[in-house]
Amino acid sequence: MVIKILGSGCPKCKQLEEETRKAVSESGTEADIQKVSDMDQIMDYGVMMTPALVIDEEVKSVGKVLKAGEIKKFL
Amino acid sequence: MSESCSCSCGVSCKPLLYACSGAANTGYLSDAVARKIMGNGNGSMTCLAAVGAKLSGFVETAKSSNNIVIDGCPTACGKKIFDTHNLDYKHIILTDFDVQKGKTEITPDLIEKITIKVESKIQGVT
Repeated sequence: MVIKILGSGCPKCKQLEEETRKAVSESGTEADIQKVSDMDQIMDYGVMMTPALVIDEEVKSVGKVLKAGEIKKFL
Repeated sequence: MSESCSCSCGVSCKPLLYACSGAANTGYLSDAVARKIMGNGNGSMTCLAAVGAKLSGFVETAKSSNNIVIDGCPTACGKKIFDTHNLDYKHIILTDFDVQKGKTEITPDLIEKITIKVESKIQGVT
């Protein structure tokens, strides 16, 4: 599973990354977590607000900091 | 409409504009008006077709945004796409502004005039 955090590196992006790592760890899922900060790549997903969470190339959330419990439902 | 702006990372909270961009004169007008509004700094255009195609990034963005759907005519393709996804939006139909589908010539003056009318309708949508 490939998980991408889309965002410029702002505090909310970092929070989403932390929550994502927590969700992956707690669920025991094997995942490659990547950060994407290039705006062109972010726009290619049609994402107009960040942070965004992408799992296996499907955008799961935009403009929100999901909690680990919410992220686990996608894993 | 979203209760509050959920943007972060310094991205602006301008409403998102979805033009039907249909083949008729009214579709062309919807596209031209949306581009004009964006040029005036009162919104950001994004792709209605991508929402229709269920591209996840566009659908999820629409769930978190203040959306303006600009349909050229009462066929309302844009509205139907948004309703299919159960998305919130403000709806504009350009034939409500004395534009006749298949008849009215789309001139720069008309684009300007309709843009002003649409902008007055979407004021406060942030």
